[in-house]
Amino acid sequence: MKAKGSVLLSGHVLLILFILVGLTAPPQDHPSAALPPDEGPEGCTVIMVAKGASADGSTMATHTCDCGTCDWTWRHVPAADHKPGEMRKVYHINQYKTWPPEQGLKWDLYRNDFTGLEIPEVPHTYGYHHGMFGYMNDRQLGIGESTIGCVRKLENNTPTPAFDITMLTLIAMERAKTAREAVQLMGSLAEKHGYGFNDGGEMLAVHDPNELWVFEIMPVGPLWTPKTGKPGAVWCAQRVPDDHVCVCPNESRIGEVDLKNKDYFLGSSHMVSLAVEQGLYDPKAGKPFSWKRAYSPAEGSAVSSNGRRARLWRFFNLTAPSLKLSPETPDMDFPFSVKPDKPISVQDVMNMTRDRSQGSQFDRVKGLRGGPFSNPNYYGTTRTIGTPSVEYTTITQCRGWLPAPIGGIVWLSFGLQETSCYMPLYAGITNLPAPFSVGDHWVLNRDSARWAFDYVDFHTQVVYNFALEEVKKSQAEWEAKTVLRIPEIDKEALERYNRSELEGIGYLDGFCLSHADFVVKAWWKLGDDLFVRFNKLGYYDPEKRTFSRGQNLYPEWWKRAIKVWDAIFESAD
Amino acid sequence: MKKTSRFQVTGLALIIVSLVSFTQGQPSVPKAKLPVLTTSAGQSNDVTTVNIVLEEAGIGFDYCDVPDVDMMKAGVGLADKESGPGFHAEVYTDLAKFPKGTPYGTIIFAIGASLKGMGASGLTIESEEARLKRVIDYCEQNKIFIIAVHVGGTALRGAPGSDNEKMIDAVVPFADYVIVTKESNKDARFTKIAQSKKVPLTEVDYALDLVGILKQVFQ
Repeated sequence: MKAKGSVLLSGHVLLILFILVGLTAPPQDHPSAALPPDEGPEGCTVIMVAKGASADGSTMATHTCDCGTCDWTWRHVPAADHKPGEMRKVYHINQYKTWPPEQGLKWDLYRNDFTGLEIPEVPHTYGYHHGMFGYMNDRQLGIGESTIGCVRKLENNTPTPAFDITMLTLIAMERAKTAREAVQLMGSLAEKHGYGFNDGGEMLAVHDPNELWVFEIMPVGPLWTPKTGKPGAVWCAQRVPDDHVCVCPNESRIGEVDLKNKDYFLGSSHMVSLAVEQGLYDPKAGKPFSWKRAYSPAEGSAVSSNGRRARLWRFFNLTAPSLKLSPETPDMDFPFSVKPDKPISVQDVMNMTRDRSQGSQFDRVKGLRGGPFSNPNYYGTTRTIGTPSVEYTTITQCRGWLPAPIGGIVWLSFGLQETSCYMPLYAGITNLPAPFSVGDHWVLNRDSARWAFDYVDFHTQVVYNFALEEVKKSQAEWEAKTVLRIPEIDKEALERYNRSELEGIGYLDGFCLSHADFVVKAWWKLGDDLFVRFNKLGYYDPEKRTFSRGQNLYPEWWKRAIKVWDAIFESAD
Repeated sequence: MKKTSRFQVTGLALIIVSLVSFTQGQPSVPKAKLPVLTTSAGQSNDVTTVNIVLEEAGIGFDYCDVPDVDMMKAGVGLADKESGPGFHAEVYTDLAKFPKGTPYGTIIFAIGASLKGMGASGLTIESEEARLKRVIDYCEQNKIFIIAVHVGGTALRGAPGSDNEKMIDAVVPFADYVIVTKESNKDARFTKIAQSKKVPLTEVDYALDLVGILKQVFQ
């Protein structure tokens, strides 16, 4: 008995030592704790899949709209014909700005910030789906966004530049039918009329059914005016090879540039001369010009930052594990793109947006971090691709084997991807579900789709791992089955479209609206069910009308941890 | 030929009239002393614009986003404080001319409220107002020339009582010189304050125009 007591005591001492070390020293997997803080942006992730890298030959790009306080509402902007002489007004649009709903919808309130610039309208503007940015037009041009930042001296927060990134995406949606056209249009408008004001360095994934481009743009400093005669922006675009995948986690991704190779590079002709003029590149140093090193030279690795490089590393680790890239790899040394080990499906992309670095050294539920219910939202460790601040996530998918209005799809999920559900919005539809266009963060609104998903997410937090299993059942029903059903919808839509374009579009309108309606209702009900099922941390089974009073949801390791904690901190009592 | 000459004469006259009216409309630029400290009132990025303007004008300066009275007292060199999370201190003053510790002759406030910027510096609008009051009181007591700059346009303006307007109220009435872009002053709010306080105000089209003006100020 005495010997057993000694063993137990020794065991406790060892455990106590382990815990004390853990409490007082930075975790082994975070040497970053000793490094200077990373002040770069920690926002949206863009995952990109070129057509030869996808399972079905489509191109895909995501935008995890990670803000936390932004406007999440959506609308459809109809296609329109314009008379000669009509002008298009350009507005300053702050991607982060949100207004109280009683003041109106954001697309109406934008108009209060007219820049004074009007550009000649084109004879026809394409219809498109518009959230924070323009995402997909009826020619199946898709866009995703990530803020990358730029060297401070290039920021131009004065109102002189007419364009910011949001406005550029809207004009691209209205006027471009290919990614290449969109990139050149945005670049030329920004150079001519100036870029900045609300935005600094920004990245857009711009894709059509054939090509996928990474477009990066920077302001040129606050002293620029149209009267200088110099370009008011500097930009660069690199095409992702057809069999590759790429990612942008708030990091500039374009390195060396070859503007002569127009199949793969487009950009400002002054990108090198401006860098030299601004002291950002020294040609005499004997190294080739690197876009990211000159204009957005934030350096570090997955283990030395709060998350964006961890997302960079994680993406390559998920899509091409055979590369065995180390988390210590400097961000500047990562490849621009890679061939994935396996073809990537749209469901794979959905799952990647839900990633919380499970099983890696950045796992947010490792050890005690997630609490008794393995909740990745408890402890503020390294930022992951999925993050609670997300407003919504888009996966724009372009499929060249179908007419554009049917080939393009925006897969949209509101709120945290883990507890949400992707819903398809075809490129050609002319109406978006009404619940997508209302609501804000500050007032619970049962008419707002976003709140249905937050309602589920909130009730998942309580008994996370158990509740998530219930959410997954609903995702399997409403998301996975819909992904599998898409070919059938395509076929029906195509048959009708071939008879009459209007009939085809009408069919897709009906499908998307009714499907979204079912999903939103299902999520409100799921939220109610989770509330009932895990009420009072018990487990009520609504089907059997039972209550597992004796069932203890707490895992054994957690109970042991409590005992150890008591032994250390409560023993004095 | 004769017709062209008439046009030329008319054009020249118009230019002269314009120049006269311009110089009459704009008050003369006051003079201020170096060394100069740049800072923010509201933590928007616009102080970066001011810093770049000074750099372009060839005027050395010290910069701190959130200086308090202790740093003002320390003078040039900002007491050798180092930048860290939510705090920036940078010294570009010509130390040969103005050794460390030299009292500042001028402070330039770039006005504009940014919740993001204040959040990064651990400030609220109330604590920023309080900090600005302490700094301005110190400047007034020590005859440090105060220049208020607003170049952010309507985006850094707002309804009465909004964060942006509070930053204007915290600085502009106490300034010795006000420089604003026309877009910032669309409602003539700066003009009204400047007139009531009898301080000179210069309106500019672009931030670039500040380069020449600040050269004159520190000539």
